[in-house]
Amino acid sequence: MPADQLSNTFAALADPTRRAILARLVTGECSVTELAEPFDMSMPAVSKHLRVLERAGLIARGREAQWRPCRIDAGPLKEVAEWTERYRHIWESRLDRLESYLQTMKAKEKKHARKPRRK
Amino acid sequence: MPVSHAANSDTFTLTTPSDREITITRLFDASPDLVFEAMTKPEHVRRWWGNLDDRYSVTVCEIDLKVGGAWRFVGRGPEGQFPAFNGVYREIDAPGRLVYTEIFEPFPDVESVVTQILTREGRKTRLTVTSSYPSLEVRDMVLKTGMEKGAALSYDRLDDVAQELARIER
Repeated sequence: MPADQLSNTFAALADPTRRAILARLVTGECSVTELAEPFDMSMPAVSKHLRVLERAGLIARGREAQWRPCRIDAGPLKEVAEWTERYRHIWESRLDRLESYLQTMKAKEKKHARKPRRK
Repeated sequence: MPVSHAANSDTFTLTTPSDREITITRLFDASPDLVFEAMTKPEHVRRWWGNLDDRYSVTVCEIDLKVGGAWRFVGRGPEGQFPAFNGVYREIDAPGRLVYTEIFEPFPDVESVVTQILTREGRKTRLTVTSSYPSLEVRDMVLKTGMEKGAALSYDRLDDVAQELARIER
């Protein structure tokens, strides 16, 4: 996934209403009216959130029916999960390398301690 | 993700204690003095900081370890040089406490403050690194540009949501 697409996905996910919409869509596709119900929000406001989600590729909207049902597309979410996992991995492996390196330092120290007069 | 065989690997944790902070902790089989030395002397930092595998190296590693002194690290990987990190040391109380600023050079206006604590736990040492961003807005800016640790780490909570959703979908 290109970097700017990832930014779109992050930007789209950075809003609690949009995350709530996604969480609702996990249970199955539904209409804009149904999605708007739990929020104290106008239909245009909900439609705006849906457009952001659609642009980020997080949801797809049916064209067949007049009510254009929304459904979740988990592809970009998996990419986000993999991407953040990679950065966690960088830190995790960086500190693993530090641990291994500390052991070589300790081994060297011991060697020097045994031969204190030799430099 | 391959399972690491380094000692204490399973003690690694990453949390977001507040909207502006990210905390990483891990235990090491070494004294606080040794861990501090490994993290503050260039000849040691070069050996572990940026080297994911043999294709990676640390090309610049400058450390002027005094209050007000500067540091700068640059890594290199198979795709070339990475943008540099730099900062200034603010507090040095070896080995227990080190506070420094950190700037990722493509974003010179975004300065995070990193507090590194080393505490003895039996025969081991616990490292706790907390990165603090000046505001939620700045943190989000860093996040959206997808840069190194700031990005990944602060989105940790979001990552949970994303992983959960992805799991259900699968």
